[in-house]
Amino acid sequence: MSQAAIAARSDRRRGRDRWRATGWKFAAPGLGAIAIVMGFPLAYAVLLTISSFTLLHTRLMPLVGFDNFRTVMADVYFWHSIRTTVVYAVVTVVGEFVIGLGVALMLNRVLRLKAVYFAILTVPMAMSPVSVGLIWHMLLQPNLGIINRLLELAGVAGVDWLGSTDLAFWTVVFVDIWQQVSFVILILAAGLASLPKEPYEAAEVDGANELQQFWYLTLPMLRPVAAIAIIIQLINETRTYDLVYVLTKGGPGISTDLLSYFAYKRAFLGLSINEGAAVSFVLLLIVLSLTIVFFRLVTRRR
Amino acid sequence: MTKRTLTAMVGAASLGALMTAAPARAADITLHALMEDVPETTIVEAMLPDFEKETGIHVEFQKLVYSEMHDKLVTQLTSNASYYNLLEVDFLWAGEFPEAGWLADLQPFVDKTGFDLKPFIPSMMDMVGRHKGKLYMIPMYNYSMGLLYRTDLMNDAKLKDAYKAQTGKDLALPTTLADYVELSKFMSANAGVAGSAMQSQRGDPNSMEFSNYLFANGGRYLDDNRKVVLDSPQGVQALQMYVDNIKNGAQTGALSATLDDTFRLMCDGKAWSMVTYWWMLPQVDNKDSCPNAAGKVAVTVMPGGHGESGGWGWAIPKNESPELQDAAWKFISWVQGKDIAVKRALQGHAPVRSDVFEDPAAVAKYPYYKQALEIVASGESFPILTYTAQYEDVLGRQLSLAGSGDATPADALKAAAQGLDDLMKKAGQ
Repeated sequence: MSQAAIAARSDRRRGRDRWRATGWKFAAPGLGAIAIVMGFPLAYAVLLTISSFTLLHTRLMPLVGFDNFRTVMADVYFWHSIRTTVVYAVVTVVGEFVIGLGVALMLNRVLRLKAVYFAILTVPMAMSPVSVGLIWHMLLQPNLGIINRLLELAGVAGVDWLGSTDLAFWTVVFVDIWQQVSFVILILAAGLASLPKEPYEAAEVDGANELQQFWYLTLPMLRPVAAIAIIIQLINETRTYDLVYVLTKGGPGISTDLLSYFAYKRAFLGLSINEGAAVSFVLLLIVLSLTIVFFRLVTRRR
Repeated sequence: MTKRTLTAMVGAASLGALMTAAPARAADITLHALMEDVPETTIVEAMLPDFEKETGIHVEFQKLVYSEMHDKLVTQLTSNASYYNLLEVDFLWAGEFPEAGWLADLQPFVDKTGFDLKPFIPSMMDMVGRHKGKLYMIPMYNYSMGLLYRTDLMNDAKLKDAYKAQTGKDLALPTTLADYVELSKFMSANAGVAGSAMQSQRGDPNSMEFSNYLFANGGRYLDDNRKVVLDSPQGVQALQMYVDNIKNGAQTGALSATLDDTFRLMCDGKAWSMVTYWWMLPQVDNKDSCPNAAGKVAVTVMPGGHGESGGWGWAIPKNESPELQDAAWKFISWVQGKDIAVKRALQGHAPVRSDVFEDPAAVAKYPYYKQALEIVASGESFPILTYTAQYEDVLGRQLSLAGSGDATPADALKAAAQGLDDLMKKAGQ
């Protein structure tokens, strides 16, 4: 290699390094803020899991190793909450995705009043889960609620939506899907709108029917957007707390006892912030595991 | 700098130092209290201007629903300086707060001001007054539970005949828990209403409700030596009857129902009875808001002679300055003194002083005060320990499991008793 070529390459490298250093300088304030806002609470929460900190003993020391994890894991209802939470997250996310995709596909074909439909769709999303829970609690009230009244007018016996162990879980799932599906619809609708038209024109020329176009074009091309929507919802649903708090308090029996609610009870009713943090840490691991597993699944065939 | 300027500066600095060192004047003091958003609070709130006029002390209430209060108070009380310098404490926290060292001993204030504690009903003083012999709270109002029932259905000739034909007994107010459940099931089957409007949602609602069944059937949580006796034969039988009533006497959806749900049902005239707080009577017996039930309801002591008793107390945070503690005590002794307590009672307050229950003006306005006093005086308490709030969840879960048929009453009560024992050991009690 000539001297000139070596000098030119060295100049390029220096230029790249300068560019990179400038990039880091610009990113530093943001990264610093994230480290403070997210990193510090996370590190403190991890410290709490191995500390003796409770609301009656407000000191971190002495550290107790994994005792808090052992204590919560010795509780049979902890394991029940984990099972319930995983089933709940999977069922709600699948429901939201199937319904969301269907509605998004329909909206993709709507030409008039599209903005009105989107405005209506954002209403549940804009409501706080506590308000949603309170509204549905009134609607589903078995004796005086509107839904059972309508069923009775139609000649169908009223249903014990939240007081039956067979139904309460599915009722909470339904209310959750009702609120969260709007978000999935909006993301998928945006993804569908951004898909290129050319592959469809080519497929039509090749004689592919609508189902084939959906299966071989729409779904594969929508995969990155769908993956984002599913991962975000998986995280949201695994952390569900508000709806259970308002609608069922974990009952009847233990049918809606989710892990977030279990963590809350340990921390604030049991006054054991350290055990609550340990449960939250397990919740974080579950969310991470589900996210990684799903991410692997959707990126495997790319 | 001129001599005059220097003199002025020194003077201003001295005045500033003097003002800093001087004790706060009453007019400078503001008491902050976190209060449950219920009519009791509204009644007191309306009287705050009178207190300010009398003492110069300003009082501010921040109102919140019950379920949010515990967490907010605990967060404040564990911080270095609590925003709330006057506390409203539920009896369920009456073990936790003193054990955590958050409350000031009120006896020195009582001694200093000569505040008379004798008129306070002893059962209330035991519940929301003293803890381990020390006075940490002054009772504020009670929420003792009794039986609210429909008098028109009890006097209905057809129902009387049907009951006689079915049971061989006259239709009369039940005197035992077994009689009550039997009557509830009868009303459910024959009167076109739910026999009982039950608040059996897991947690506070079903724990409070079941406690009435337990006490009514002669069961207890703890014996005189504070040994757990919840799963005694009387306790198991009480839970069997509780479950029986949920399944055969209560409204649909009892396992998810709260106090609000049961009130609406009773108010709508769709239930014969409701085990509830005695002061719900005037709310149901209101022709404007409950036209279907007004004029047809009465309250009595829980069949069996004892129901669940609860209450709220006033307290002062331990780590407040003496000036603020004195101001808080001034407010507590004012609001719980007889004159203000009677004024509050005439507006619907649930008294904790026997002299208010016997006050001629109050009795004239509320003829049911005789029954109310009996309910309060005969009430028994949920176990008070450091982890009472957690115990409500432990018990509530087992009651809900029994109610849904996922556990037998004997197994559920055994687990609930074990849970109580574990928490008492954890609390070192």
